[in-house]
Amino acid sequence: MSRIEDSSRFRRGQPVTIVVDGERVPAYRGKTIAGALLATGHRAWRRTRHGQPRGLFCGIGVCFDCTVTVNGTTNVRACLTPIADGMIVETGIPMEHQP
Amino acid sequence: MIEPVEIVVVGAGPGGLSAALAAAHAGAQVTLIDSNRQPGGQYFRQPANELHGEPSRHQREGQALWQQVQSAGVRFWAETTVWGATTEKILSLNGKDVPGTIQAQAIVLATGTFERTSAFPGWTLPGVMTAGAAQTLLKEQRILPGKKILLVGTGPLQLVLAAELVRAGAQVVAVLEGAPIFRNGARHLSALWRQWERIAEGANSWLTLASHRIPYRMGWGIVSASGNQQVERATIARLDDTWRPVAGSEEQIACDTILLGYGFIPFHALAQWLGAIMTWQPELGGDIPVRDSNMQTSVPGIYAVGDGAGVGGAALALVEGEIAGIAAAAQTGHQTGRAAQRIRSLAPALAREQQFQKMYAALFTPGAGLYALGNNETILCRCEEITLAQVRRAIALGATTIKEIKSITRVGMGDCQGRMCSHLIANVIARETGQSVNQVGMLRPRPPLFPTPITAIARTPSEQMEVAHP
Repeated sequence: MSRIEDSSRFRRGQPVTIVVDGERVPAYRGKTIAGALLATGHRAWRRTRHGQPRGLFCGIGVCFDCTVTVNGTTNVRACLTPIADGMIVETGIPMEHQP
Repeated sequence: MIEPVEIVVVGAGPGGLSAALAAAHAGAQVTLIDSNRQPGGQYFRQPANELHGEPSRHQREGQALWQQVQSAGVRFWAETTVWGATTEKILSLNGKDVPGTIQAQAIVLATGTFERTSAFPGWTLPGVMTAGAAQTLLKEQRILPGKKILLVGTGPLQLVLAAELVRAGAQVVAVLEGAPIFRNGARHLSALWRQWERIAEGANSWLTLASHRIPYRMGWGIVSASGNQQVERATIARLDDTWRPVAGSEEQIACDTILLGYGFIPFHALAQWLGAIMTWQPELGGDIPVRDSNMQTSVPGIYAVGDGAGVGGAALALVEGEIAGIAAAAQTGHQTGRAAQRIRSLAPALAREQQFQKMYAALFTPGAGLYALGNNETILCRCEEITLAQVRRAIALGATTIKEIKSITRVGMGDCQGRMCSHLIANVIARETGQSVNQVGMLRPRPPLFPTPITAIARTPSEQMEVAHP
């Protein structure tokens, strides 16, 4: 998706790289994981137990639909968690939720 | 160890900031708690610290208020969630460098709302999100939620959001307003008296949409969304007076993002756990605590302000917060002589905002048809993936209350604790069993209110664990 700060009104934070399912994703400090994913065109990242794709829904930390695994910690809300350089993000179904 | 505190304010949006400021000015020791990284709530949401840009008017107002709160000596605990509460005014906390359990002399709840949604076929597809999600991406992240955006819902906030998206460079394919405003609006015009800022913001948004030739369709709503793995198109239709789609009026519209803005549901779990008597007020969002003119609930020393105590917007929250802050400080022994007079002086502002709140509720409360869009395969509980068919099966087995449906199907037992589905399921049960939504009841959340690491729960003193399950 487009980043609005591409226009001259806003300046970006420092460029950093996060690793999403092994893929290096460029991002800017100040973004949340969900922000970084949406900004690079990722819309769906979680899989439910029934294999359905899910992405950002409530965006304010109440619905828990956007959860990912971050540096090994499961059930982290992508919409609230700020990115950090080298952060390892895994999407899909966390092991303990697999049928 | 239970740490004693004087006044605790839960939620740092407009209502909470205003309450904290008023109480601290009166001389009270105030602790302000918020689950977000930054104060401001949704209304004053600030750009992320690391992004620099021109703040909007709301963001500047929020910054000014926050500076006052800081200089008044309020202690702020960010990224801290309240996951449990008992009638002894004890709160269980999860956060960095904060006590696990506190006991307050007075508590002001300013917990805000979450968005009312609608379970239509396709609503779980990535690309369908709440208007609040888009607003947050825009205000805090400077990111557009998608490329071709459809806004559906009700109320002027949708109009304002659509205009903000357009100004940020998004393609908005249409804005659908469910309410027939022109038919009902004239009766409420007097409530707009002295709401010049709101009128200007609305008119400005309208002009932006008009100059970009973006269709604004009144009395229209969403019927379904579809696409492979994510949203590709929506089916929309004209709505009747009860918000049911009119057969034959359906149209297809291509989009990759659908923003739902059907109003708000007060987040009242803490008020309930603290023992406050609740009242069912659908036009104010649902279950809300009963309050006196000092914003005090039925429990002495427990106050509730802002949208979480009845949806009414930021301006009302600011006034209610100030009243509660003054009253709470007086209760803990500060400026007791002046409190009543100061609260009386806020009466005109309170009355004006309450009148606006009434108009808003009368015009923009969704009709029952909003809850009748799902088919048997439509998911009602997003966390546990429980469909309408499963809920119907439970009703056929004889379940008539939401508690019984929960026991049979697991609705509302996932990570969101029913925040997303409670109202959807209650409306389905009400419709299919011929009861009122009030009779069916809402899901009662259980501690922990949010998923909480076991290490945080282990810090709770064991004598509190039993009462932590009201």
